[in-house]
Amino acid sequence: MLYRTAGQFKTTYQADQALFPVRQDAFLLGVILLFAWVIFPLTASEFAFQTLLIPILIYSLAALGLNVLTGYAGQLSLGTAAFMGVGAYACYKLITIMPWMNPIVAILLSGVFSAGIGVAFGIPSLRIKGFYLAIATLAAQFFLVWLFEKWAWLYNYNASGAIQVPNLDIFGLYVSGPQASSIVQYYVVLFIVCLLTMLCINLTRGTLGRTWKATRDMDIAAELIGINLMKSKLTAFMVSSYIVGVAGALFVFMWRGAAEPNLFDIPLSFRILFIAIIGGLGSIMGNYLGAILIVGLPVVLNLVPNALGIPIDSATVEHLNIMIVGSLIVFFLIVEPHGLAQLWRLIREKLIIWPFPH
Amino acid sequence: MTRFTKLAVAAVVAGLTAGSALAEELYLPNLAYRTGPFAATGIPLMNGQADYMAMLNARDGGIGGVMVNAEECETGYSTEKGVECYEKTKGQAIVTQPWSTGITLQVLPKSNVDEIPILASGYGFSPMMQGETFQWAFNTPGGYWDAADMIIQYLEGQGSLEGKKIVHLHLDHPFGKEPLPVLEQLAEEKGFELVPIPVGLKEMQNQSAQWLQIRRERPDYVVMWGWGAMNAGAVTEAVKTKFPMENFIGVWWAGHDADLRLVGEAGKGYKSISWSIPNLDAPVYADVQKHVIDAGLSKTDAEEMKGVFYGRGLLISAILAEGVISAQKHFETDVIDAKQLRWGLENIDMSEARIEELGLTGMIAPFKTSCNNHTGHSGGWIMEWDGEKFVQASDHLTPNIESYRALAAESAAEYAEANAPWPVNEDCAATN
Repeated sequence: MLYRTAGQFKTTYQADQALFPVRQDAFLLGVILLFAWVIFPLTASEFAFQTLLIPILIYSLAALGLNVLTGYAGQLSLGTAAFMGVGAYACYKLITIMPWMNPIVAILLSGVFSAGIGVAFGIPSLRIKGFYLAIATLAAQFFLVWLFEKWAWLYNYNASGAIQVPNLDIFGLYVSGPQASSIVQYYVVLFIVCLLTMLCINLTRGTLGRTWKATRDMDIAAELIGINLMKSKLTAFMVSSYIVGVAGALFVFMWRGAAEPNLFDIPLSFRILFIAIIGGLGSIMGNYLGAILIVGLPVVLNLVPNALGIPIDSATVEHLNIMIVGSLIVFFLIVEPHGLAQLWRLIREKLIIWPFPH
Repeated sequence: MTRFTKLAVAAVVAGLTAGSALAEELYLPNLAYRTGPFAATGIPLMNGQADYMAMLNARDGGIGGVMVNAEECETGYSTEKGVECYEKTKGQAIVTQPWSTGITLQVLPKSNVDEIPILASGYGFSPMMQGETFQWAFNTPGGYWDAADMIIQYLEGQGSLEGKKIVHLHLDHPFGKEPLPVLEQLAEEKGFELVPIPVGLKEMQNQSAQWLQIRRERPDYVVMWGWGAMNAGAVTEAVKTKFPMENFIGVWWAGHDADLRLVGEAGKGYKSISWSIPNLDAPVYADVQKHVIDAGLSKTDAEEMKGVFYGRGLLISAILAEGVISAQKHFETDVIDAKQLRWGLENIDMSEARIEELGLTGMIAPFKTSCNNHTGHSGGWIMEWDGEKFVQASDHLTPNIESYRALAAESAAEYAEANAPWPVNEDCAATN
């Protein structure tokens, strides 16, 4: 049918190990990229940019970072939001200390700081696993948020204790702050998200990704076949925290425009963990699907009664919304415990051998 | 493929809602929070606001003959939802009522770009009183610096503050930190010692550590910048540690009936500053009762209606309506736009006579706004909990604005610099 692989012969090892063993996958990705790069930005309203497109991309990126650590390397972390905070505050300091710096460079650099902090907090993972490690990352979560509150230098001694994003431009075009237009911010976010996604796809398919997966599946066996666990775990923490830090910088600079320390508190960590779990641990695409479900769906549901002309209280809609999204999460997890990405994988396989039963 | 369809649907729906504005109405949306952790405080405020507007619609056919659409958009007090609501309403809205310091911080920088006035009655960023810098933001009729100044004035009225010790118990959040600059300045001036004690958002419900510290410090007074669950936590702890309630005084958001009802008699003597008084004999209550409550258009109940917050909600809507009226008169048009409303909010003259006329007798003190005075500084009263309700416990207090005008100018200049390019209202003469 749509996914007929007849006639697609692999005659070299290289072709057999290609990123897209099936031509339709590449085509589908092309369509998605066409939508993301051209069709959405040309048709979206301000509202769609600010409440759907930009946040979904940023949340996907944060979940991708977490997925590297939890999904690929098997190290459970509950401190994602705090590492996002590190990225955001680092970016804020970089920009205010060096105002001439290109904002995109600053955002990509801010991940370096969160990578450093992430490795520091990842050290306990060499001795402890599972829930115990989760508690250690929880400590990072509490400590860092406390630090954002108490260390006034981080927010330049603002009386309010919050950070405000200044107007930053690249060659005269505003990319952040209130003067920046949504479409510009969207492209910056899209560019960085695409870049890091590509990086992750290749990392997880390469040596590093394989050592992570081995660590995840059975660390003792991995050690026996010569994998250096310390290196494997700490690189996972490093790469993951880097991506999460960049997501944090984007979160504040390209979307929120201001942030107080408690923004990076545990609810945000959980939210990102849910996105990763519902999307599918150990998959790249799952992060996007999860973010669409958790971030995008509530916004769309909020619009439904209005569009249908049903007179209903905003507060009631909010309550209904929480119920609907909650039950959808439960439904998807019952139908497919491995997340939405696995659901797609099954559908795809069914399609490939259609009309034969799977 | 679900991803496209969802997004496509969203885009279509967003387009539909954006284009479905009704003509001939005043769209004054409210970013309400009837859900979430602060719902208990939000509901009476929102009910008061909604009921006043519904009353205007029922009694006078709106404002100046144009019906008001005071639609609520639910934020649950979450900043993220707040931004979603702001984006959703900003197409037609002629005002934004963000209702949280966090959301205010987010929309304030955008105000110059989107050109929609922000009405943050009694909250937000105190330097917003500098109308030349914050052209689109209004914290009418009072800011936190006013509150801090009046509280200290009142305490001074109880005896000299020289050598006294005052604890500033506050939420560790932009809101709680707001009054610190003024309190520090006053401490230097009056010679009292200021001890700031922060309460983290996670510790709101259990403040035993803070109150132990208060016991150790033995302050003469505790001033509280509390909100939501923090007030209830503080009041119950104060009762538990036997802190003399008459020396405990809160900001106007810490004067919520439901919080004090938890301790009832034991809370007797607790005070809070307030720019509003729920004067149940004021004609406005009768009108609301007749046109809204009896008509079944309200979500409030009799008990809630007597409270401080419900009355304050009525007043906030009244101030907004006053801004609309002043703009309608000046521009000689019924359906005003956001720019015109800004002019209206800058030219509110809430005189004694006007307060009577609106039926708000004894609920609010007279004030005036101008292009460089966006706060109005109506002053306020000290309210005291008598075991059942809040009653007026002082004469009218007026904040000593001159003492922190320089501070406000400095903060405003800093803000403008940090957010450069930031347009400043040049043609506004600096006279108040």
